Amino acid sequence: MFPESLRARWRVAAQQAECLQEIRLRVNVPATVLIDRKEWFVDTDGSLVDRQPVAARCSAEELEAVLKHLCQYSVYAFADEIRQGFLTIQGGHRIGLAGQVIMEDDNRIRNLKYIRYLNIRIAHEIKGVSDSLLSYLYDRQGKICNTLLIAPPGCGKTTMLRDMIRNFSNGTGYGAGVNVSVVDERSEIAGSYLGIAQNDIGIRTDVLDGCPKREGMMMLIRAMAPQVLAVDELGSEEDIQALQMASGCGCRLIATIHGSSVEEVQHKKYMRNIIADRLFDRYLVLTKKNGRCEVEGIYDGDGKRCLK
Amino acid sequence: MFKIAGFFCIIAGCIGWGISKITEEQSRIRHLRELIRIIKRMQDEISYGKHTLPEICLILSEYCDVLYRPYFCHVYEHINQCEGAGFEQVWEEQMCQCLREAPLTGEEKNILINLPQNLGLQEEKLQAQSIGQSMDLLNRRCRQAEDAYENRAKMLLSVSVLAGVFLTILLL
Repeated sequence: MFPESLRARWRVAAQQAECLQEIRLRVNVPATVLIDRKEWFVDTDGSLVDRQPVAARCSAEELEAVLKHLCQYSVYAFADEIRQGFLTIQGGHRIGLAGQVIMEDDNRIRNLKYIRYLNIRIAHEIKGVSDSLLSYLYDRQGKICNTLLIAPPGCGKTTMLRDMIRNFSNGTGYGAGVNVSVVDERSEIAGSYLGIAQNDIGIRTDVLDGCPKREGMMMLIRAMAPQVLAVDELGSEEDIQALQMASGCGCRLIATIHGSSVEEVQHKKYMRNIIADRLFDRYLVLTKKNGRCEVEGIYDGDGKRCLK
Repeated sequence: MFKIAGFFCIIAGCIGWGISKITEEQSRIRHLRELIRIIKRMQDEISYGKHTLPEICLILSEYCDVLYRPYFCHVYEHINQCEGAGFEQVWEEQMCQCLREAPLTGEEKNILINLPQNLGLQEEKLQAQSIGQSMDLLNRRCRQAEDAYENRAKMLLSVSVLAGVFLTILLL
């Protein structure tokens, strides 16, 4: 993740990759790392310290070198993502970016320049995280329930979604394996590299990588005839329209959305109808308590709690 | 008798030298055309495929002349080993090695070796255009070499024959 010249400083943090959650780099201020829910600074020798005065500061050149390295020296290849303020690198790790925005004449964002803030979120593949919830995700006939995962950022939505995909695809004690298609708009679910999924997403899973959800869902339904369709981070009216169309095609849906409760999601303008129409049979709400991600509850289509 | 044999040997040697120079010139043109083909493919992969540079090197390792393949493969592998090596550095090392024996002038070799200096733009079309500058330079060189080839080949052959005759006279 870091160029050769900066590796020594990050070696200690990298040794804790299993617990490493986040690295935040900001120009002229100490870099911070989040390891097992605790924030640390990194000193010039690369040791983790909890005192800010001894922490190493990141220069603009260093930050640019990191960004260049993360983009594999091909910034142009990530232009669309940079425009949206993030990029996803090999392994599904997401890099959030902030700097100065360049606007188009029609008020659209053209690009980012002077990128001076990086938030490197380390993706962790946790197999089996959805195992205990599977009994709630199948109906009495053994059919997979249309499920919406609801959680604020950083609560493990994508990790949970990935594991659900893997389970549905491979088959579980509750149902046989089915063909799952994934629209992986931000390459976070499968973490594809050269078109090959780097994460375990099951043996019957097809991935459409880097494609907008709206186009991707219909493309997959036409091309791959999935029994389950999975998408991450519904965020616009178009996404919802595509989801409604997909549900009309007879495949089961798994999706995620930002929010902290079913009520909050219900209040989103574009979600109101599909919740009222009972498009989803299950709402799985994730939360973070004492820095730990956990399931807050599972609700049925009427919003009645199935699991406390 | 020996003198006649010696005369023929000298003439043959000189003509051989001339032919080798002509072949070298042909080889130079062939290399220039291959470099243009490589850069054109890079341009296409950047603007159309939006591939990253290491990915392009992997594509090139299966696409270009056998002579260049292992070097592009090495660039891809080096970058992918996740040891933090910079692309410019790896590219320069590999291309220097690759072009060491090529019958190209220093300037022509530098066009490919210094290609990463044109990188770093944030928009794929601009990036492809920027790389296109190197291609224009090579195109010009190649056209010049092709135009001059016939005359140069005639001249080299004539000079080699004349040199052979001159040497024979001198030794007689």
